[in-house]
Amino acid sequence: MYRVWYYPRKAVEWVLLIGVALVFVFPFLWMLLTAFKTLPEIYQFPPTLLPEQWEFGNFAKAWETGPFLTYVLNSFLVAVGILLLQFFTAVPAAYAFARYKFRGRNWLFGLTLIALMIPPQIVFLPVYVEMSHFQLVDTLWALILPYGASAFGIFLLRQSFMQVPDEVIEAARLDDASEWKIMWRIMVPMAKPVLVTFGLFSFIYHWNDYFWPLIMTNSDSVRTLPIGIWMLKASEGGKHWNMIMAGNVMLVFPILIVFFIAQRHIIRAFIYQSK
Amino acid sequence: MKKWKTNLLVLAVSMSTILAGCGNQASSGSTPAPQSSQQAGEQPAGDKKAVEIDFWYALSGKNGEYIEKMVKEFNASQKEVIVKPAYQGSYYENHSKVLAAVASGNQPDVTMVEIASIGAFADAKVLEDLGPYANGEESKYIKGLMGNSYWNDKLYAIPFNRSTPLLYVNRDMLKAAGLDPNGPKTWEELKQYSQKLTKKEGSKTITYGFSTPIDIWFYEALVFQSGGKVLSEDGKQFMLNSPEGKAPLEFWTGLLKEGIMKAPPGEKYNAWDVAKQDFLNQQVGMIFTSTGDLKGLVENAKFEVGAAFLPANKSYGVPTGGANLVVLSKSSDEEKKAAWQFVKWMTDTKQTIGFSSETGYMPVTNEAVESADMKAYYEKQPNFKVAIDQLQYGAPRPMVPGYKELQEVIMTEIQRAVLGQASVDDALKAAEEKAVKLLKK
Amino acid sequence: MREPSAVAESSPVAVTQVQEQTRPWSETLRPYLYVAPALLFFALFFFYPIVYMIYLSFQDWTLLNLEEMEWVGLDNFSTLFSDPDFHLVLKNTLIYTFLTVFLGIAIAFFLALWLNRKAKIYGLVQGAIFSPHIISLVSVSMLWMWLMDPQYGLLNAMLESVGLPPSTWLADPGTALYSLVLVSVWKVVGYNTLIFIAGLQSIPQDIYESAALDRSPAWRTLYKITIPMLSPTIFFLLVINTISSFQVFDTIYIMTQGGPVNSTNMLVYYIYEQGMDFYNGGIASAASVVLLGLAGVLTLFHFLFLAKRVHYR
Repeated sequence: MYRVWYYPRKAVEWVLLIGVALVFVFPFLWMLLTAFKTLPEIYQFPPTLLPEQWEFGNFAKAWETGPFLTYVLNSFLVAVGILLLQFFTAVPAAYAFARYKFRGRNWLFGLTLIALMIPPQIVFLPVYVEMSHFQLVDTLWALILPYGASAFGIFLLRQSFMQVPDEVIEAARLDDASEWKIMWRIMVPMAKPVLVTFGLFSFIYHWNDYFWPLIMTNSDSVRTLPIGIWMLKASEGGKHWNMIMAGNVMLVFPILIVFFIAQRHIIRAFIYQSK
Repeated sequence: MKKWKTNLLVLAVSMSTILAGCGNQASSGSTPAPQSSQQAGEQPAGDKKAVEIDFWYALSGKNGEYIEKMVKEFNASQKEVIVKPAYQGSYYENHSKVLAAVASGNQPDVTMVEIASIGAFADAKVLEDLGPYANGEESKYIKGLMGNSYWNDKLYAIPFNRSTPLLYVNRDMLKAAGLDPNGPKTWEELKQYSQKLTKKEGSKTITYGFSTPIDIWFYEALVFQSGGKVLSEDGKQFMLNSPEGKAPLEFWTGLLKEGIMKAPPGEKYNAWDVAKQDFLNQQVGMIFTSTGDLKGLVENAKFEVGAAFLPANKSYGVPTGGANLVVLSKSSDEEKKAAWQFVKWMTDTKQTIGFSSETGYMPVTNEAVESADMKAYYEKQPNFKVAIDQLQYGAPRPMVPGYKELQEVIMTEIQRAVLGQASVDDALKAAEEKAVKLLKK
Repeated sequence: MREPSAVAESSPVAVTQVQEQTRPWSETLRPYLYVAPALLFFALFFFYPIVYMIYLSFQDWTLLNLEEMEWVGLDNFSTLFSDPDFHLVLKNTLIYTFLTVFLGIAIAFFLALWLNRKAKIYGLVQGAIFSPHIISLVSVSMLWMWLMDPQYGLLNAMLESVGLPPSTWLADPGTALYSLVLVSVWKVVGYNTLIFIAGLQSIPQDIYESAALDRSPAWRTLYKITIPMLSPTIFFLLVINTISSFQVFDTIYIMTQGGPVNSTNMLVYYIYEQGMDFYNGGIASAASVVLLGLAGVLTLFHFLFLAKRVHYR
């Protein structure tokens, strides 16, 4: 009996699976399709699925509304700058937390965990005031420095460092390797998968960040891509959704493509948070 | 395959490391990194170093592009001052940006400020007293546009992109319905026109006669038309919980109930966008919006656009609107001087004529209105003259420091009434309660 | 993907120790030097601002007069709590948080039970539902604004095509908050699902095998084994989702600006408005302290729960 029902059941399940996937993916396709439509076609109801007339100019139009090359570069500098800082602050901290016993260790690690749980957005007002004192508002530093240390990164690396077998370290010590060298030359390479994971997480998170640049930047020379995209909303005589969506395609699809290539790593990067 | 992907990632990460090295160099130094020279116009080669000033503006689209163009012209026209323009979003967004930037000490030297906010900024001592700079020259500006320029008898702001609300009508649609293509003159006529223009298909409305954003600015206009005021003369009393304050809401809710008016969805300028979009798509026959939208609407409409005074209740009446240019007091003397030079240039007769004819905003000097160029233009484009003519019924917007917050309170409450969340009486009573608190501050 | 368990769980793996007695002072100092840079950043941009913010909440100040603050004690808090708008803001935040967290977790739970298989198609679907999670909220907000456009939006077109009446989505005070919930559930469900799948995979298979031997019906297995075994995961998601829902801002700022008529005004947006738009720095800081308190209590719960769980192991 089971046999008879196997294929129909399977077919129904496949339809459901595809349906669920579409709920999450189709909006992105809609974004892409909208980006290729003409303005009159945007204002048709009911809307057309495929563009009746493929309009490729929307991308150029969106690109020309602001210095997008600068935005892209800034987004990149900020995300990479944060990543590097986080790397150089997290490795020693994680190493110390994982491999040393010292007075106040648990206490200090507890502070790190608090920073992990409570998001920094909560303190944007005082940080803004602080940045004003340092004269750093409207510079890339105001976007980078507040994220200079990642509690998540420390946590992740610490876990990974703790798993390195003692013998490896003892062997290195016998070779007269310094602690510093052991940390960078032995521990870090062994934690490479975790570092890639963390790097992806951090990069994507800050590449996407909108709130912080919104608060901290005033001039085009330091604005990031999400701010530039948001500014596309400006309009005359109605929103030009085709142009707005074209701009968003530029922000979204690179990430989606990277996601497609490195799906396993990225998913692990985000899921790891729960470890 | 897997290996290949991993390699790619490692490559990407290491590449970014290298790039970041360069980047950090580029962005060291505490000032904003790249000084894009093309933005600042030609670098004046030469003897004295030019003064650089920052100018923030809040107009987008074609209007914003035209401002950028004006700035370039200014930079090319002389060698002492280089103006760096930056778009900051709508008036609301620009307002918070200026405020926050003043606090952090990297405020612009010149910025556009929506006219009702001048008082708040002046009161907080953020603005430079322009009296000594203008030295009587301010008499060249149209008097009706100077109402939001003074605070405690000092001159703080120069009119730049100034507007009044207008009634825009789709002339083709009006003609087809056998109506006067010049549009309705009174509230009663507005209602009749709307009835005639509204088209239904079954239960669905295909075309609405009339649409307006439920915005403080249009509400102020209708209050003025009913003979009312927002605040008392001394700015201490809230005057809207009155028959004059209620009349506009009763008028709007009446039209909405009848199904001949559409309240466009969306907050703040999103609602304006919808109204304009509906108008261009011929889904509404008449809308209220700023004269600053004139050029954009005329260019994008596939029908004949007509502009008219807002219809009268007891009388005609409109608040003026738009933004003034201000100079910030925190800038250095040198920057302030440069800033004034720029403000003067931007609002001078020649520039204001160009700006007005390219956008729809009003020219700001008497000379400009009288000029042969402007007159010739009005001859060709009578719509552009409507706002200036309407100015005789214009009044300044309230400018007490708390009005920035109060206007949002009022807007929320009138929207509650219009959306049927509260009765007109209750909404205005609630607004009054909050206003009393705010005005005490 | 391993067991998504404790944040604090850290069975101390052999900590290498240099002999205590012979250790020179430079060695004693070493771990402190190693943690110093990271902690310096936390101190500068996290802990100090928190303390400063609490201080600011007792002052009357605006961004424009930072030099002339005035100590007003608890005035800001009493103003805040007597403001009916703030009550509405709290109410909105709580409704939004409850719905987002509840729906986000419930839907993810069933998706996880369904999608936790080996065949390739399941992996693909997992990837698909996860993809919104890595997209910037700016794009998510703009995209959904367009989808939810009351006149030209795809969603209303779809409703009408199956004969349902169109919705007002973001345009009406009655539907706007729920529309925002829909967007955030859409964004977070994939993440939650994958966390659940990781949790499911860490449940030892022999438990299920013995249940199968007992001929325990499926619902009973779910109720008696799966849910209890997943309780740490559920708890983790509750905490993480609640904290992130509390601080929703981007979608509000872009899609609704708190409207219509304040129906989507929530805590962080309120703080932003008070601090950056209305010159009420004191009120904004007081509201931030309230938010911090909420997040702090949740964090505390989380750690207490974990401590207890580790204890019982």
